[in-house]
Amino acid sequence: MAKKLELKFENQDGKVVTYTLDNPVEPVDAVAVQAAMDGIITQNAFTSSGGDLVAKKSARIVERNVLDIELV
Amino acid sequence: MATANMVNSTLRLIFSEGVDAISGKEVFKTKSFSNVKTAATADQLYAISILLEPLQQRLLFKIERNDSSELRQA
Repeated sequence: MAKKLELKFENQDGKVVTYTLDNPVEPVDAVAVQAAMDGIITQNAFTSSGGDLVAKKSARIVERNVLDIELV
Repeated sequence: MATANMVNSTLRLIFSEGVDAISGKEVFKTKSFSNVKTAATADQLYAISILLEPLQQRLLFKIERNDSSELRQA
């Protein structure tokens, strides 16, 4: 089913800001994920309602399963 | 003289999803990142795009930046 990679950052207000990517590469390359997250913080080109992104919070792959129920 | 003041900026990554079997046309998927700083440079956005590309399976076809500006009489 559809998988997404979620990159979670903390902004200046201490709130979590999430960026997602579809079709993540598996198995996950933890080094590449961290490098990308560090790069996003270093480049400092993104902002949020609570200010700049200041720290990495977490990263995870989320899978969504859909089961259609047949109606009679 | 009118002046343009950028109010909003979006980064768009356009991925190639392959060729549609029926129509034969190439299929693209777009991923947008809003909340791009208006002061962000092309270098910064390019660097971020290049870092994000290897985290997913699709081929990065194009990187776009979409800016909106407000025009005013100076």
